[in-house]
Amino acid sequence: MLLDDDQVLIEKILDGSKLSFEELMKKYNKKIYNFVIRMVRNDEVAIELTQDFFIKIFSVLHKYNFQYKFSTWAYRICYNLVIDHIRKNQVYVDSLNGDNISQKRLVESKNFISEDGFDNLEKDEVKTYLWKTVDQIPMKYRELILMRYLQELKYDEIAEISGLPVGTVKNRIFKAKELLRKEIEKDGMFA
Amino acid sequence: MECLRDEKIQHYLEKSLSSVEASRIRDHLIVCKKCQLKYQQYVQMENGLADPVYTEPPAQIVKNVMKRIYVKLPTYSSIFALIAASMVLLVSWIYIYFDFSNNSLIQALKLTSNSTYNWIGQVIKIISNIFSSVYAIFKSINKFFEIIFNVNIGIEIFGFSVLILSMILVYAIYLLLVKRSGKQKI
Ligand SMILES: [Zn+2]
Repeated sequence: MLLDDDQVLIEKILDGSKLSFEELMKKYNKKIYNFVIRMVRNDEVAIELTQDFFIKIFSVLHKYNFQYKFSTWAYRICYNLVIDHIRKNQVYVDSLNGDNISQKRLVESKNFISEDGFDNLEKDEVKTYLWKTVDQIPMKYRELILMRYLQELKYDEIAEISGLPVGTVKNRIFKAKELLRKEIEKDGMFA
Repeated sequence: MECLRDEKIQHYLEKSLSSVEASRIRDHLIVCKKCQLKYQQYVQMENGLADPVYTEPPAQIVKNVMKRIYVKLPTYSSIFALIAASMVLLVSWIYIYFDFSNNSLIQALKLTSNSTYNWIGQVIKIISNIFSSVYAIFKSINKFFEIIFNVNIGIEIFGFSVLILSMILVYAIYLLLVKRSGKQKI
């Protein structure tokens, strides 16, 4: 069987290579941490959960089946860890559900407009605003947007990780982008 | 043709429509300013989403994880130490047991009770006390079996249980000292 880069690393880790595990962590750290922090919206919790994730990966690595892609397996473990945490600490409110928060965000968006005073924003500013809006949409949409664009996963991989049918994944991502578009349009933040 | 729903535009962008439907949408986009704007907004969004704003993860994550997992790994030397510690403990149990019968060690300790090594005497005294109470329990259990079932358990089984006890004790100390320090919160 031909092993991919990740799998070569895993074989070395299982043989006791510390350095290989560090390499694997550094490879996934950014995508895991950013997913977690945008899900839980708390720095400390994100650090704690990311650490828990890597420790978990290490402790169940011997159970990993080389027939599957490592990344999908790992992202599923990460997703379950985050969802578990959120279920146990249901304090997260999806901001876009409340009207008064929209008002507050209107003020924020005014501050956001560049010094020219017009909403003719630079491309980068649209991007920043877009990603800020991602943090505000309901979790069932946010998680899929994050998997698709932040973790750069395919629809079928997202379906496997979230346990949803592929059709549902696609529909929700479409719905999520519609939500995002309308929100950004409402705030006049398109370039 | 009526205006395009968001979903249609997204499908068009993902190229997941039949060529007939795609060309119908292309035609509509040429004539309809409103849908054109929507389409452009989706294009902008797609570009922004495809290039995420990442936060650099704090360096402590990798460091902490490495510290936490590689302490927990048992090494050959730690397994060897565990067995050696059990043996030492067992030998001292046996020594104290035989000494206990003629009390010479305790007598000797009483004589040197003012010496700087007094604490060793205290420890041995405590072990002796534990041992004598274990021995007393053993004797009463033995007596009980003798009266009820008319059998004698014998010193072999007693020795064996002392060995098991030693192993459990060493393992408990190991768990307390080694494993716990590995799991420490950072
Ligand atoms: Zn139209």
